[in-house]
Amino acid sequence: MRRLRTLVKKEIMDILRDKKTLIIMVIVPLLLYPSIIIGMTLVMNMVFSSQEEQVYTVGYPVAGIEEEIIPDLQRLYEENEEELVCKLTFLSEEELQSGHDVWLLVEQREDSLYAEIAYASTDQASNYAESALSELLDLYKEELLKEKLNEEGLEEQFLQPLVQKSIDSATESESMGMSLGGSIGMLLITTILLGAFYPAVDITTGEKERGTLETLLTLPVTNFQMIMSKYIAVSMFACATAVLSIVALGGSVLFLVFGVSTELAAEFQGISVQTVIVLVLLLLLAMITTALLITAICMCFCVFAKSNKEANNYMTPVMLIIMFASMVGMIPSVELNYQTALIPLVNVSLLMKQLLAQHFDFAVIGVTIAVNFAYSIIIIWILAKMYDSENVLFQDGFQSIRLFQKRSEFEKGTVPAVGDLVMSIVVILLLVLYVGSAVSVRSTFAGTIVNQVIIFAVPVLVTWYMKSNQKELFSFKKPKKGTIPGSIVLYLGTYCLEMAIAGILIKAFPASAENVSMSFEQLAKQPVILMLIVMALMPAIGEEICFRGFLYGGLKNKYGVKWAVVLSAIVFGAFHMSLVKLLPTAMLGACLAYIVSVSGSIYIGMVLHFVNNAFSMLQMKYPDVFAKLFPVFAKPELTLGDTLIFMGVGLIMISIGIPLLKKQKNKT
Amino acid sequence: MIIADNLCKEFERSVKKGKKVQKTKFLAVDHVSIQAKEGEIVGILGPNGAGKTTLLRMLGMLMSPTEGSVQLKNASGEELTDDIKKKEAIGYLSGNTKLYPRFSIREYLAFLGELYEYGEEEINKRIEDIIAVLNMEEFADNRIEKLSTGQTQRASIARCLMADPMLYILDEPTLGLDILSADAIISFMRKQKENGKTVLYSTHYLEEAEVLCDRIYMICNGHVAASGTPKELMSQTETNNLREAFHAIYDAEMKGEMA
Repeated sequence: MRRLRTLVKKEIMDILRDKKTLIIMVIVPLLLYPSIIIGMTLVMNMVFSSQEEQVYTVGYPVAGIEEEIIPDLQRLYEENEEELVCKLTFLSEEELQSGHDVWLLVEQREDSLYAEIAYASTDQASNYAESALSELLDLYKEELLKEKLNEEGLEEQFLQPLVQKSIDSATESESMGMSLGGSIGMLLITTILLGAFYPAVDITTGEKERGTLETLLTLPVTNFQMIMSKYIAVSMFACATAVLSIVALGGSVLFLVFGVSTELAAEFQGISVQTVIVLVLLLLLAMITTALLITAICMCFCVFAKSNKEANNYMTPVMLIIMFASMVGMIPSVELNYQTALIPLVNVSLLMKQLLAQHFDFAVIGVTIAVNFAYSIIIIWILAKMYDSENVLFQDGFQSIRLFQKRSEFEKGTVPAVGDLVMSIVVILLLVLYVGSAVSVRSTFAGTIVNQVIIFAVPVLVTWYMKSNQKELFSFKKPKKGTIPGSIVLYLGTYCLEMAIAGILIKAFPASAENVSMSFEQLAKQPVILMLIVMALMPAIGEEICFRGFLYGGLKNKYGVKWAVVLSAIVFGAFHMSLVKLLPTAMLGACLAYIVSVSGSIYIGMVLHFVNNAFSMLQMKYPDVFAKLFPVFAKPELTLGDTLIFMGVGLIMISIGIPLLKKQKNKT
Repeated sequence: MIIADNLCKEFERSVKKGKKVQKTKFLAVDHVSIQAKEGEIVGILGPNGAGKTTLLRMLGMLMSPTEGSVQLKNASGEELTDDIKKKEAIGYLSGNTKLYPRFSIREYLAFLGELYEYGEEEINKRIEDIIAVLNMEEFADNRIEKLSTGQTQRASIARCLMADPMLYILDEPTLGLDILSADAIISFMRKQKENGKTVLYSTHYLEEAEVLCDRIYMICNGHVAASGTPKELMSQTETNNLREAFHAIYDAEMKGEMA
């Protein structure tokens, strides 16, 4: 512990003495935000006020019907001058000295007047004048209407059997926050990215380039301590950038509100001090976890890069992805819920929108913050464990990722290294999160298809590229004799246990469960054959190949069967992007991986996976039939008794299934 | 005392054959066994690319051997097994072990002291002692990036001294230094020997090695081509000085390679 503290202290001192980094971390947030926000507002104010001062000319021909109307328009204009967008002056063809902004032509056609406003949509001044004149003509129309009604002896209400008005319950400050939230989220995330990236490069590849890394490794320091100390130091700076940014942002907003515009200040009157404190605290918390996450992501790439240039090359696409994710908050229809809360960075962007609209759903906010925190811990933990100082120092740092080699350099039967596995899974995850989610917005069904294709295609392509022995790696073999009964018993036991745990989790997180069932409802509208193909057959093949073939096979090669079962199960669970489904799917994953390890075949798992999904599909499609056949499954909530029975039956069957399988395994 | 037994290190080398790039494996260090005892200065000699640096890196725990083992025993003959304890016992210095340019020597030594988990008083005492011994008072508070080559090398020595290791592994410590700085380093090695420490060092200065080393290992093409005291090497090859002996051994090695 003392060593870690010493190392962190050293890293911080090292960063603090680098002026370039400091400038980016301090100057950017402290000067850029105020100058952007205040500057922009002041410029906008100036533009607006100059527009208000400007008088636009309406020209009209001499000796036409216009000359009769103009005095009325002039009178209406004087009455309503305050409400119009800009000032107008009416000048006849003769009076016009320079040009005009709009041209008014009026004709008498039978009983109606026909007015034509000639303007140029490409000219700003012409546009303003046009809208002001239109408003004026509308007022004039109302006046004429009133006169006509009076002539006929009718009340004004005659033309208005229904009067409609919408009242916005959101206060001005709430709606302003909503519109600002998305863009401020993006600004903050980008600043944090810069604040994390420069120190990260400086103390990883920078340390390597300065030649001090080799010295550090001769000292009594473990790789884990080294990575952790660097991570802690960089994330402290990223957090500092985040805090400074919020301070600068808040400061400039306050300055604007109370220093420049009293109108804006009035809009903020409605906010209580309590709300502001909660808002600021949540903002800080959200930004600090974001800083931790972004630092972790930066470290992953910087640690393995050989030089600053290489680090920059790796980081450019990552930066684009991060910035893209941070812009999701600007899309109006996307909201923070239990599903979007699981997407890293996108959730922060959405959270910002929610926070600034003063809409505090503490459960979702809590999940968002916890999820980002968890992601960063997981990333940095894996990084610290994977870090191989010898590789980084004396060879190509990315040796644990062999995918970057040319295909001709691979020998036949290459097994993917752990780095390849991690990278493939990350690629799949990114594709699913961003491509799959994007398609899902249009159609949940199409999104599911896209996701399944991604999950299937990436491992197959990667193993093809690496010339792996797919038959061996994916266990495309006949199951060993006598392993089928044991597999079925084990699966049924796991299923019962899953039911029990899912029942408990649904009670604990009702909102999350609702989300899951809602997306299923949409799917249930499809024809049953399509549903079976997309929801049961495709996952049975794709997910088995990905998780029980590619991931399990690769991990087994490095860490042995036990860890391969556990790790592949955890990743499988996490992939389902739902709090309620995490644990049950991880259990299913462990069960299926164990079956592969004993039977030596992926096919049993594929069949069981198909049956598993088809069962819940049919249950959704034909709830009535199912309610008759299996009354227990139709219950919206399991009673405590049911849960205990499921748990008991599950445990008993598992404890029968495992020995059954073990017996067969020992035989062969 | 350090005992290396049958150390091997395998590297990959890319060879271009027409358009195709093929990776072939080769042994940079090929079954090397060496020993260095307390109170001994052991020299590792050999031409460039012979595998000296790779060998020293494995001994210094910066690289793990592909085959073979390194044993490290303390003065009472106990073997150290913990990696961190081993690193504490080794002072490793090479041209690639640079110091933090943004720190001063004093700050850097203080950092090391904390890392080696000394108490605060002990840290301060050691720093003052080392600065006095290496004659660094004048520049001890300057940033390391501002120091000259000789001053920097003295600072590197100071780094090793701070840990007070039982084994020094020095990879070409006198390379590129002026006579004064080089002599300072040679007398530093002698002093460590007198204190009963083990010094393993590689060099290209054969005259320096001839007078300094108790024993010498000649490394060619990754393996030990000859070993013994300087005198033994000279009598084996029937030469008058180490430089001639070096040539004789190298030529014999090359002939063997050809045949």
